[in-house]
Amino acid sequence: MRLQSVAELDVMRASVVAARSPRRQEIIVSTDSTCCVLRGSLGVAEAFQTGISEAGLREGTGLRLTGCLGFCEIEPMVVILPQKILYQRVTPGDVKEIIQKTLKEGVVVERLLYKDPQTGEAIQDIEKVPFYQKQMRLVLGPNERIEPSRIEDYIADGGYSALAKALSGMTPEGVIQEVTRSGIRGRGGAGYPTGKKWETTRTADSEDGVRYVICNADEGDPGAYMDRAVLEANPHAVLEGMVIGSFAIGSHEGFIYVRTEYPLAVDRLKKAIAQAEDLGLAGRNILGSGHDFSIRIVRGAGAFVCGESTALMASLEGKVGRPRAKYVHTSEKGYHERPTNLNNVETWANIPLIINRGADWFAGIGTERSKGTKIFSLVGKINNTGLVEVPMGISLRDIVFTIGGGIPKGKRFKAVQTGGPSGGCIPESLLDLKVDYDELTKAGSMMGSGGMIVMDEDTCMVDVARYFLAFLKDESCGKCVPCREGIKQMLAILERICHGEGREEDIDTLEQIGSYQVDTSLCALGQTAANPVLSTIRYFRSEYETHIRDRYCPAGVCKALFRYRIDPETCNGCMACVKQCPSKAIEGERKKPHIIHQETCIVCGICHDTCRFGAIGKVHTSEVAV
Amino acid sequence: MSDAASTKTGAVLIVGAGIAGIQASLDLANSGFKVYLVEQSPTIGGTMAQLDKTFPTNDCSMCIVSPKLVECARHPNIELLTFAEVEKVEGDAGHFTVSVRKKARSVDGSKCTGCGVCQAACPVRATVRVPEPLEDGEGERTRAVDAIIDSHGGSREAMIMVLQDSNKAFNYLPEEVLHRISTRLGIPYAEVYGAASFYKAFSLEPRGTHIIQTCMGTACHVRGAQRILEEMERRLDIPAGETTKDRLFTLETVNCLGACALGPIVAIDGEFHGSMTTAKVPALLDSYAEGKNDSERRAAS
Repeated sequence: MRLQSVAELDVMRASVVAARSPRRQEIIVSTDSTCCVLRGSLGVAEAFQTGISEAGLREGTGLRLTGCLGFCEIEPMVVILPQKILYQRVTPGDVKEIIQKTLKEGVVVERLLYKDPQTGEAIQDIEKVPFYQKQMRLVLGPNERIEPSRIEDYIADGGYSALAKALSGMTPEGVIQEVTRSGIRGRGGAGYPTGKKWETTRTADSEDGVRYVICNADEGDPGAYMDRAVLEANPHAVLEGMVIGSFAIGSHEGFIYVRTEYPLAVDRLKKAIAQAEDLGLAGRNILGSGHDFSIRIVRGAGAFVCGESTALMASLEGKVGRPRAKYVHTSEKGYHERPTNLNNVETWANIPLIINRGADWFAGIGTERSKGTKIFSLVGKINNTGLVEVPMGISLRDIVFTIGGGIPKGKRFKAVQTGGPSGGCIPESLLDLKVDYDELTKAGSMMGSGGMIVMDEDTCMVDVARYFLAFLKDESCGKCVPCREGIKQMLAILERICHGEGREEDIDTLEQIGSYQVDTSLCALGQTAANPVLSTIRYFRSEYETHIRDRYCPAGVCKALFRYRIDPETCNGCMACVKQCPSKAIEGERKKPHIIHQETCIVCGICHDTCRFGAIGKVHTSEVAV
Repeated sequence: MSDAASTKTGAVLIVGAGIAGIQASLDLANSGFKVYLVEQSPTIGGTMAQLDKTFPTNDCSMCIVSPKLVECARHPNIELLTFAEVEKVEGDAGHFTVSVRKKARSVDGSKCTGCGVCQAACPVRATVRVPEPLEDGEGERTRAVDAIIDSHGGSREAMIMVLQDSNKAFNYLPEEVLHRISTRLGIPYAEVYGAASFYKAFSLEPRGTHIIQTCMGTACHVRGAQRILEEMERRLDIPAGETTKDRLFTLETVNCLGACALGPIVAIDGEFHGSMTTAKVPALLDSYAEGKNDSERRAAS
């Protein structure tokens, strides 16, 4: 079936909604997302499918297998409607009990309820869970109402109505004006005003009038996966945004450039595009408006720099993905020298919201210069790992402690890293910082695509800086000298420090190279590459000094700068570490304290991982006889 | 000035006629020194003459270097010694004696106009050498690559997708496959190879039966991914990026698998193993190694 007009879309929406039998209850299982699947969600879904029919509950019970619901820590999660009961870490074995007790008898299964990591209190209602309470889930919200491979679900949820509104009642200029007025800025990290970019692309000279629209789904920042979650759970929101964008810009061909590491997202998008084209929501003569727009998926090939717009376009053209200098913006001359508008997945997913609810509504959320919400992937040393969508201007403390539930195992918070390899580390003293584009930049970090990695006292900040530089050294395309050589030299210095050969002048040298790098590199990768180093020096200088002067890594990460020691008081002689030690460096008899022979110990840390009694500690090299 | 200084020869020998050597020669020659410019290759200009653009202004490289080449060649104070190597340096400051071996080029450089007639007549190397296009159209691999290329419509833009599919089909990118892609898509081999070596997703070497990807994302890193990798390297006795001798395992690192809640994470043959610890590594590896033995046993029986 092909929808010929906006009215036909409305008719279809009404019929989809009407066809849904009024259900007594509904079960939502977060199934179809890479991490849910890893945690065994498919088994849970299957158990529900068979369980519901066996229990004779097919009438009146709906089962919805959705994409990512954000709370990755407790997946696979199950929500029972209308009571909104949240069950965490459900296994196929639990399903029978849920069906029997909750669905049939209306009793809550206490042991599967979510328990607050701070207070230990069990919470039944999903909306009362602190993780969800402070969030504002505009983009992620629909995920729980949609089965990702069903376009009907999206349409029933009001999907494609923004497109209908734009095509039937707005001019392209009007759409751009609305987007400009909303104040939305690029969600990929740099924060360029989206409306302005569209305007430039629309008005730029193109010899044959061809313009392109690209969705950047090359989510390369390690520790960031919100684009994957959006694509996997709600691909149509991105497509709708792109079609609206193409109409505003006057483009008839678009691309989605997806990381090759995300096979499920590629699969989802392929299906979604086919569905949208079948219904006439993409392709030729969209909704009978005369506007044509086709979308193609292109897979990346594992190069971080291809997230940069000019490198991405080079890669699209089938070339090696190296950036070029941007004297001329891609919105004037991009893919094949034509005006090209490139936006991030999250930006596109926000567009239907803006068109539907209006620029004023959107501009009412957030801070003065950063509007709307932002999705962060809250990961690392945090209790509630997951995807959180918060209004701009929320404090870091709220994200880490209220939504994130604090640090596991009662450890101390040390820093939060934002902005991926181009970002920086923000210390405890700045936890009340309001999260928006400008505040983060002021603190020496950046918004980036939205990775938020929490670090505790066991994280070594010198090692973190070294880690990011090692990453960037591999990913630097090598075209410009400051990036290629600067990163290499800084990395050499950091490695020296981590190996216990740091020199007094090293910190100054790092700062100097870093400042040159900012001024002279060709693209954003090089310009921001020094951020991890400069921000850790700025906030954790003493840690660098301890590494250099005392030859000690307080966090116990840099191998050369600490040793393992067994505390004879705590060790109960269980022999577990003796068996596991790969270098046979631990000597001991049953029920007698063991000792580590420092001369054969390779500091691999297996004993530390194995010991269940916390008897193996990390100490300064001088404290043990080697 | 001492006597020794005043009796200095006043000639300079410069080794290497790249852009630096040329500029130094011109500066010295213009200051009145006699310059001997020694160059190993038959021509001067070095690397810069082979470049297209220069960083950071993207200026044309030849436009900068070629006036200097000409000036260098016709400067009365500069003596070019190309296709020559320094053999011996004796003496001390102001009084060096240098032996230079000038290789035979069988052409009188002072008379040659570079007309190219001799090259055309030469029976040994009459043409500029280009790599022979591979004899293809025969092998199984060629047919497989052809099918992949056809499925992408054979356009130049499809190169990366063709490489991706080929990498998947053969588990790596054999040289002959790269040549075939070059021939079929009409892209110089250097460019195909350049792309194949640039992107991380491609391997230019054969890989093992099981491919281990250790996630090195930030979330995994702060949860101890480095130690997991080290344990893998130790157990398999190979550094990351290599394949075990028995071709059973290839150990790779990956920047982020995007499943950070489960970190540290290891993917083997695309199956994810979350919340890894060093203590779990041996059993995990064994399960894959034994899995293979099982299938072998089944195949034998």
